[in-house]
Amino acid sequence: MTERPSDHLRLRTQPSFLEPLVANKRVVVCCGAGGVGKTTTSAALGLAGALAGRRVLVLTIDPARRLAEAMGIPETSRAPARIDPERLARAGADGAGELHAWMLNPAVVFEGMVRRLTTDEARVQQILDNRLYKHISGMVAGMQEYTAAEALYTLYESGAYDLIVLDTPPSRNALEFLEAPRKLSAFLDERIINVFLPKKGGILKAASGLIENVFTRIFGPGFYGELQGFLDAFSGMFGSMRAHSEAVRTLLTSEEATFVLVTSPEPSALVEANFFQAKIEALGVPFAGYVLNRSWAYTRGYASPELIEMGDAPSPELASGMAKLRQLAVEERRRADRDRKLLTGLKSRTASGHALATPHLGGAIEDLAGLVDLARNLVQTEELPPSSRPPPSVR
Amino acid sequence: MTTVLSTLGNLRAVLVTGKGGVGKTTVTASIARMLAASGRRVLCGETAVDDQTTSPLGAALGVEGKVGEDPTPAGPNLDVVILQATRGHRAFLRDALKVNLLADAALRSAAIRRFLMAAPSFPEMGMLYRVLELVRLRLSDGSPRYHTVVLDLPATGHALALAQIPSSLLRILPGGPIVEAVKEGLGLIMDPAQTGSVVVTLPETLPVSEALELADGIRKHQLPLAAVVANRVPYDPFSAAEKASVLGHVKSAGPTLGVRSLERIERSRAALARLAEARGDVPMFVVHDSWAEGAALPAELAVSLAGGVP
Repeated sequence: MTERPSDHLRLRTQPSFLEPLVANKRVVVCCGAGGVGKTTTSAALGLAGALAGRRVLVLTIDPARRLAEAMGIPETSRAPARIDPERLARAGADGAGELHAWMLNPAVVFEGMVRRLTTDEARVQQILDNRLYKHISGMVAGMQEYTAAEALYTLYESGAYDLIVLDTPPSRNALEFLEAPRKLSAFLDERIINVFLPKKGGILKAASGLIENVFTRIFGPGFYGELQGFLDAFSGMFGSMRAHSEAVRTLLTSEEATFVLVTSPEPSALVEANFFQAKIEALGVPFAGYVLNRSWAYTRGYASPELIEMGDAPSPELASGMAKLRQLAVEERRRADRDRKLLTGLKSRTASGHALATPHLGGAIEDLAGLVDLARNLVQTEELPPSSRPPPSVR
Repeated sequence: MTTVLSTLGNLRAVLVTGKGGVGKTTVTASIARMLAASGRRVLCGETAVDDQTTSPLGAALGVEGKVGEDPTPAGPNLDVVILQATRGHRAFLRDALKVNLLADAALRSAAIRRFLMAAPSFPEMGMLYRVLELVRLRLSDGSPRYHTVVLDLPATGHALALAQIPSSLLRILPGGPIVEAVKEGLGLIMDPAQTGSVVVTLPETLPVSEALELADGIRKHQLPLAAVVANRVPYDPFSAAEKASVLGHVKSAGPTLGVRSLERIERSRAALARLAEARGDVPMFVVHDSWAEGAALPAELAVSLAGGVP
């Protein structure tokens, strides 16, 4: 195996706060802003769980194609797929448990749910054939989040996995499915839906009259009838869907689950992280701590260019080049300092005091070996000093 | 010479888009600042998220007070606003129903309000109508209240949502005034003389691939693509010969401080070359790395955006 920078960083390590989580929890939910490496972190956490001997499923939405290729799983699939153990072994993860992955397809999950909750085949067809249905499963705000929760719960109940790592969508709505299915009920709440259904009389009839009037005037004739048909066919499912949402909420607030916040040192990502932490706390779900990605916090094991001999007669390019490299090193120390302060700040922001920085592995992770490397670094980390020290001496 | 001003300065709407984490909000604020400094009356807007209490865009523009659903001053020639779909729905209902009373009664109905927020494409439709309403605002002398509206569009997945309105909404709707309203909004955002999209990316392999996919999607939906902006590009002080001799020399020392930055410069160069090759005749602007933070960052970048590329 080729030497990686992180090999030098594993000199003095200890188990991180993530180690007991991937070894014992049943569900780990990763949230955070887009572009912070959340999907990669989820995959690496799953891999860490597999390395601990467990049967793990990584559930992800909208992953980087490169990552799918790295893990060797199809982009579109109707069910979870197992990562070839041979590939895992070749990537340095031999003796691991099982690693499965699924790129969630909301339409598939939704159709599965319709079939599960509706026993009458004619009714199933009536729903699936409706023009509105074809759009609702893929497009309704909150539906992607709901299907993630739906899939999570169904797969959890199946008992096929010891650990499920859920990579949430990178939107602020990502935790919406936990909020007493608010957005979902916005469309599916029976009290609301009832207004649209055919009425016999009373106040509801007056309300429906207004709505029918408005809808027909705005959307043209025909639409209201079609909407009624759809909701009528669908309404039998609402009770079960709400019950299901409640079950998901119970699972995710239990001791079996934990939430991990992923961020980068970028100010905008930190703003989002703040938002998510407040949300997690307001929802009363267990919060494990922070993973700080893309940071420059680690400098141990790196030689200082100031101390590298250039010999007696360096070429002009080498002399000027090394001067510029020294300048970059100065910036890297400054970044390391900034990121360590940030890490200290993140720790003080959490009740558990848990936050860790992933080593800078250079660019994006593009292969399974890179993921294995990250997985090991997530569960075994070096305790960083609060700020940078004088340049280390070399050899 | 092509400048940001010559590229975007005459547009009525600039739609800034890109994957999460590429610095869209910073770039949006910088473009808005730059256009405002050039004398254009500019409105900078972000799309609302549920129970949003903070405004990242307001923070980037250094607005101390609260940013809300009505424009707030953010500097000379510059206002900032949070776009609410419900505002668009109300404006639309009033226009469509021609009777304010009925429109207001309709919006008082929880069922209708929720339907509009939850049904496919309707939030985007409300957003679009709100943009249309803001673009149409006029001063008493008849000139536009805002010459240009610069929008920070939500990341990931929904970046093309505005463009997808016709295919999704028009497919589920048989007709009626809503179709006319949507067509009018689309007339604005699909007209290259009035609207331009700006794709923001980082100079790294994966973000550039994603930006190129996004640009393709934008073209496919017939939205005019005005420019590509590469954000956080590192300065490259090295000559090729210096790079080669430095990398050769430090090899024996093992991992060395500064080398990761040098590698980042190399990745950036390769990524920008790929971007430059694929962008066709769409102008590309480069925004450099900076240590500035908060509102100082867009202020600094606005100055550098005022320059141009040959």
